[in-house]
Amino acid sequence: MVQYGGDEVAALVVDIGHSSVRAGYAGDDTPKAIIPTSYGYTYESPGNGQDVQMDDSAPPALKKKFHVGQSGPSIYRPGMEVGHPLTDGLITDFEPIQPLLDHAITKVLGCNPAEHPILVTEPAWNTPEDRERMAEIIFEQFNAPAFYIANTGVLNAFAAGKGNALVIDVGQNMASVTPVMDGFVLRKGLQYSPLAGTIHSRAHNLLLSPAQYRPQGIALFPHQLIKDKLSVEPGQQPIFSLREDRLPGVTESWRAWYEAREVDEWLQSVGGVLDSGWNDQLVQSRPPRQYEFPTGLNSMFGAERYFIGEQYFHNQQQQQVPQTARSLTALLSDSLRSYDVELRQVLVGNVVLTGGGSLLPGFADRLNTELSRTFQHVKIHAPGNPIERRYGGWLGGSILGSLGTFHQLWISKEEWQEHGKAIIAQRCK
Amino acid sequence: MTSVLSGPSVQHGSKLNVRDHDGLYGLIGPSAPSMVAQLRKPRQKEDGVTKWEWKKFSNSARKDSLRLCHWAKSNENSNAYQFSKYNKHPPEYSYNDEEYGRLLEDPEWTRDETDYLFSVVKNYDQRWHVIYDRYYYNSGRERTVEDLKDRFCHACRRLVKDRITDPEARKKALEPYQFDKDRELTRKRYLSNLDGRAPREIEEEEALFLEIKRLEQNERKFKRDREELLRTLAGIESGLPDIVEDELPLSLFDSSKNNKRKRGTADAESPISTPIPPSATLSALGTTKRTAPVNPKIPPEDPIQCIRHIELSPTTPATKAAHQPSFLRTFKLPNPKTSTHVRLVSTLQEVGLTYNRLVMPTEGNVALLHTAVDAATALIEHRKALEKVEADIAALKEKHGVEGDVASEMGMEEYGHGRSLSVATSARSARNKRGRSLSASSADTVPQQKRKR
Repeated sequence: MVQYGGDEVAALVVDIGHSSVRAGYAGDDTPKAIIPTSYGYTYESPGNGQDVQMDDSAPPALKKKFHVGQSGPSIYRPGMEVGHPLTDGLITDFEPIQPLLDHAITKVLGCNPAEHPILVTEPAWNTPEDRERMAEIIFEQFNAPAFYIANTGVLNAFAAGKGNALVIDVGQNMASVTPVMDGFVLRKGLQYSPLAGTIHSRAHNLLLSPAQYRPQGIALFPHQLIKDKLSVEPGQQPIFSLREDRLPGVTESWRAWYEAREVDEWLQSVGGVLDSGWNDQLVQSRPPRQYEFPTGLNSMFGAERYFIGEQYFHNQQQQQVPQTARSLTALLSDSLRSYDVELRQVLVGNVVLTGGGSLLPGFADRLNTELSRTFQHVKIHAPGNPIERRYGGWLGGSILGSLGTFHQLWISKEEWQEHGKAIIAQRCK
Repeated sequence: MTSVLSGPSVQHGSKLNVRDHDGLYGLIGPSAPSMVAQLRKPRQKEDGVTKWEWKKFSNSARKDSLRLCHWAKSNENSNAYQFSKYNKHPPEYSYNDEEYGRLLEDPEWTRDETDYLFSVVKNYDQRWHVIYDRYYYNSGRERTVEDLKDRFCHACRRLVKDRITDPEARKKALEPYQFDKDRELTRKRYLSNLDGRAPREIEEEEALFLEIKRLEQNERKFKRDREELLRTLAGIESGLPDIVEDELPLSLFDSSKNNKRKRGTADAESPISTPIPPSATLSALGTTKRTAPVNPKIPPEDPIQCIRHIELSPTTPATKAAHQPSFLRTFKLPNPKTSTHVRLVSTLQEVGLTYNRLVMPTEGNVALLHTAVDAATALIEHRKALEKVEADIAALKEKHGVEGDVASEMGMEEYGHGRSLSVATSARSARNKRGRSLSASSADTVPQQKRKR
């Protein structure tokens, strides 16, 4: 390993994204623990269960119980609410972070966090308060010997083997364009918007709204609520019955969670992007795709699947409603406008496409088309392996955390106790 | 590990040997089984297997006492962490109040802002794009990357010049801080101009470039055709002054010399039909004029850097290669044409010279040898011409039965071949001249050769 500059100290890498929390050992090629970031919680009277957290806002008689991991929000529990710690990529609710990380590290990885230095990722627009809070959790609650917080943009560039890159990260909620120079984020050109989340809600509306051959729209019931169903011909009304006993226990937040998941699965299964721009004839000529919902509804999707993908690049509603998320092309031009020709050329020649949202077929080709319109020498690095594309940030952290030269950058517990929060901004530039 | 692995394989081999030796191996026939060799017990190192241990280590690049663990060989006990040597920072410069007042005063910059700039530069290890990105100082002025870099480099240069007196060390210390702001700005302006071209302009530029290429090609073709035509019409090279051959191998000798040589050879082949070699050729008997050629391939700054391009004689072996590599002078001694080779060697031997060997091939000596060889070549050519003329005269005399030199000349005049007349007169004058300049021994050869005929 010496010849690659690697020296493994069994560091843990934790990457908190909108869709999932990834954790694993530095030096591995895939995270060993991938759990959903969404968490379920129920209120219990004290004395039941062990994984209990006190919640100050809740009445003292009830205890908030978190349900995290693969059997967290996806398991039906009567009266379970579902929450999400992130808003626009930033952690706004720190309460479930400890249970989430604890589940990933001690339950799934099965290791003791007190024995491993922990590398955590953050979005490029993270606030100093958030990263300090994160350090506090890692040092105080997990008792880790060392901690470091690294930027996902930089880590994605490292995962692609680049020091200079223009990282285009399309996640489940956010889309961001991060210029990286010599391993540092250039903040003046950083652009981000909740584009992916907006597109999800558009897809949601599209599926719910009545269409030509499904006058009632699509009922997005999850399989947890379906008692039985019959197979029907494509385009026919579904024949299914619900588990009536469970319906009263369904909370509004859980309903929103499962509907969003159904939409996400639909989008990832059938969604696509036209590689050369919107063209009605071209859309008609593309073959439709079949998708079956948990209710048994079985439908063909033609133009709709491209219509949704098109929103990433061409946001039709942008002119009317300025608050809506800027499209990827707008983000790109806003970002590159702040640099001179020379730097722009370097960035455009080192584009790194990453994030699960970019996995739609044709996405990379379309991005290439859009960039080539304005720039001459465009080169896009888009890993073909979906694991690498989804967890690029984690992978970069895995590379960084196993480098021999990196170990001088860890913030040790001793330094944390000595210098306090100031050391974070000083060390993690 | 190794012994455990090798255990079963040895057992397996012995089992094979004992039980199946006769039956199974007998079936194979005389061919030797190759497997036996592989079943030998693997050789082990004397000192056994090195153990790896999960060891704590301290990193000298760290300022605290954090001890992380990694896998290391148990017998290695080096204290220094092997990656700590990569912890390198560029040298830092700091200044005190006195130095700032004396060296670094600048109306554009305040002390505070300079301090801030130095701290940011130190923080980001002189990565200028990052420094510019993270530079937040409310001075009321918009600073560009060039402004920041110029200020920093200028300040550092001032400090280095003030502190380091040793010229060598100073030069070395100054090197990283060389920065020309105006040049950088010009470069960026050019770049943005280049980038700002409209697609139509780019197209136009490309079209113009192609047009130029095409015109050049046409012109070359036209020249070639014209020359070929003239050659065909005039029979031989026309000698028009404006026709210069396009593709000289690598014109180390200038074109006038080239023409001269060609005329000279043509002269030797058919002295009657060509004009008389101009007096320049005659002067070759003495010293050859070596005017410095204006060679477009020689960069103009070479004379300033004392790089001399030594022009080679036409008689040296010419290479067709476009590039003339460096060579020893002795390799490029004059090498005469094969047709006159034997005669040249003998002529030179008469004066005690060997044309291809010099004891001291200095530049002057080589030039002298060139002169000698050129002179000898010219001499031989003139002799040839002379012989031919004399033979003609003799033939005419025989034909007309006229005796005596005066009569022969008169006869020539009578028959009035204009061209041959002029040839004869000039040949005679050449002979007279040669008579004056040549040594007695070489002059003697003429009658000898005459006698041979």
